[in-house]
Amino acid sequence: MTNLIPTVGEQAEEMPCLNERQLRSLIEHTSDIITILNNDGAIRYESPSITHVLGYEPKELLGKDAFDLVHPDDRAATRQFFTHAIQAGKAGRPRQFRCRHKDGSWRVLEAISSLFLEEARPIGFIVNSRDITERKQLETQLAFAQKMESIGQLAAGIAHEINTPAQYVGDNIRFLQDAFCDLEKLLKSYEQLLDENKNETVAPALIAEIDATTAAVDLAYLMEEIPQAIQQSLQGIGRVTKIVQAMKEFSHPGTEEKVETDLNKAIETTLTVARNEWKYVADMVSDFDPALPPVRCLPGELNQVVLNLVVNAAHAIADVVGNNGKGTITVGTRHAGDWVEIRVSDTGAGIPEAIRTKIFDPFFTTKGIGKGTGQGLAIAHSVIADKHGGAISYETEMGKGTTFLIRLPFNPSTSQTEAVL
Amino acid sequence: MKKHILFVDDEPNVLQGLQRMLRSLREEWEMTFVGSGAEALQRLAQAPFDVIVSDMRMPHMDGAQLLTEVMQRHPEVVRIVLSGQANQEVVMKAVGPTHQYLAKPCDPESLKALVNQTSALRELLTDATLKGLVTSMKSLPSLPSLFLKIVDALKTPDASIQQVVQIVAQDVGMTAKILQLVNSAFFGLRRRVDDLPRAISLLGFDAIKSLVLSLHVFSQCDQAMLSKYALHTLWDHSFATGACARLIARLEKQAQPVVDAVVTAGMLHDCGKLVLATNLPELYGQALTLAREQGLPSWEAERATFGATHAEVGAYLLGIWGLPNTIVEALAFHHCPAQSQEKTLSPLTIVHTANALAHEQTPAAESLAFLLDLDYLTMLGQADRLPEWREQCMTVLQGGGQ
Repeated sequence: MTNLIPTVGEQAEEMPCLNERQLRSLIEHTSDIITILNNDGAIRYESPSITHVLGYEPKELLGKDAFDLVHPDDRAATRQFFTHAIQAGKAGRPRQFRCRHKDGSWRVLEAISSLFLEEARPIGFIVNSRDITERKQLETQLAFAQKMESIGQLAAGIAHEINTPAQYVGDNIRFLQDAFCDLEKLLKSYEQLLDENKNETVAPALIAEIDATTAAVDLAYLMEEIPQAIQQSLQGIGRVTKIVQAMKEFSHPGTEEKVETDLNKAIETTLTVARNEWKYVADMVSDFDPALPPVRCLPGELNQVVLNLVVNAAHAIADVVGNNGKGTITVGTRHAGDWVEIRVSDTGAGIPEAIRTKIFDPFFTTKGIGKGTGQGLAIAHSVIADKHGGAISYETEMGKGTTFLIRLPFNPSTSQTEAVL
Repeated sequence: MKKHILFVDDEPNVLQGLQRMLRSLREEWEMTFVGSGAEALQRLAQAPFDVIVSDMRMPHMDGAQLLTEVMQRHPEVVRIVLSGQANQEVVMKAVGPTHQYLAKPCDPESLKALVNQTSALRELLTDATLKGLVTSMKSLPSLPSLFLKIVDALKTPDASIQQVVQIVAQDVGMTAKILQLVNSAFFGLRRRVDDLPRAISLLGFDAIKSLVLSLHVFSQCDQAMLSKYALHTLWDHSFATGACARLIARLEKQAQPVVDAVVTAGMLHDCGKLVLATNLPELYGQALTLAREQGLPSWEAERATFGATHAEVGAYLLGIWGLPNTIVEALAFHHCPAQSQEKTLSPLTIVHTANALAHEQTPAAESLAFLLDLDYLTMLGQADRLPEWREQCMTVLQGGGQ
């Protein structure tokens, strides 16, 4: 926006020059806050819109250190950002930080800065900032809504995954109960046989009775089925345990900081949790790099991204195969130089040309009304690019399928950092 | 005779578990276990089955598809879903072709009881065509004016659950369908509910809305059919029978659950007529003519024409829909209560009497002698109560209120 003010430089000759009164009027009526700071950060000018946004009168701020208004947690990084901009001699990308309102509350501002020149010499900078508090709140709510949506969907799937083993474990135990009654009957006859044998008075009728009971309870069947019933019940309990464990790991409550994470394991967990979403339409092939080193990341958020991609892959395949057969989802990891790559490929229909530019847009969805908030890929992009300094891209071919590729830097703290607010 | 039951599930462990758990029934049931919809259809084509119990989510062909296919190819088979599905949207897909829904994990007693009950009901109807006809019914047709009313009400944003109750309570088909849904585990409820207002509040406004507006669980009776067979009187008579039944139950100081059951049974007691008239209109017309010309009670004319009466047809339908036994029993024997095992004052007694008293009040009434089994009432020691019941019912019916 500052570029529009023609006095700044090169575009001046193409625009009519404004006199001082016009310029002042322009600055005073913009809703953004325009601040001029000295090199040391002291406020030299504050436009009247500051009163509306932060509650202060411009006068009361003159000469004060602008960074004192910034939230202590954001202060150092913000100051460094502006200093960098001055040293580099050019304006940086928009920067977000919290500022104290006169009433004590915190507002989130987004600012861009440019150099303030006097006779081609930088004597400070011009900061153009706007209040994005509400936008930030909305973004947080949307991200939360998306998470709730996928958890709600997952919960139904997980219930199904647990109900199935619960059914057959119950049935098997019921069978074991019946079988034990039969065996007990038989065992009692054998005990009697043993006693009679000791007294050398075995009655032929007893032998006949044992034969009859053996046939009636179908001993051969019981001997074959009992071990299997036990085996399968244990399997069922194992499945329930596994999914409950996976759910616990998947949700990762409270990890706000990047931690060293075994990505292969995290992805495997996500695939387990989401199993009910894909198992009816696709076979899952995992192609993990066994030598993948741990990666510093936000595991909860990354799981969410992988989940979104896998669910999308399953939907893409379901649209193609319907109820006739299955497709394939391939999930792989790879170590490539300074990067770690995660690939999620499907054998769906591919992304049509017409929507390719929109798929990362918030609210863009190809699913029916009420089926998706259209936040999945937008959030994936924000998590990968903004929070991890990585990149997310895709390759798609109509009729063949789509591959999403996530690239994460190994050590995000040394690569291009974009602080997480 | 052994019942033939077909179990379908894509999870081998579930099939084997069922097989072992149900082994104790091997003398009563002939059981077949298959792992896919395609295999199930193949088996059905080879041999007759009484009941199919299918999983819902399976690859290639899911439970809803399979049961729809079974309904078309083998309408006489009773269709039960046994599913661990918790996603309501998927569950609703099964509502159309499914008689009853069981939720996994399901205790063996419920499964055994359900299969036994449905297969026992099959003895009510011996004729295979008639059996197939009833099992293939997805809904009972509603009175068109009530159908429009309910659709309107559900589309109105501020409609209340009371309005829904008020409309549904006037219609035979809607009442039956709502009770089917609530008495099956479609919505995870699976309780024995015979009281309509409770059934509706358990389902909730939103579920009923999508069931009616998107899944079309109610249907409309053909207008021409209504006038041709004078069917509209059926709604008035059903409502009146329900009202009389309520009155008698209250006079006899019955507990609230009995009052609820008899009102519902009274409302539904003639639903078999709807099944016959809408599916076999010509034969139904013949039965009406036969009854009129020879002065026979309707059910005798029906037995001569169809080999079964509307009471048996209706009881069979509500039975496979999973309505409580008291209601099914009251329906099945509402013309011949003496044939029932129950020898005390029961919902059956009340519905039997209420039906007779309500008929007495209509212009084209069949004579009371046809309708009321006085010997039965005498045997129960209730004959001396009749005058009071009648007097009270007259007052209510003539007053036009309840």
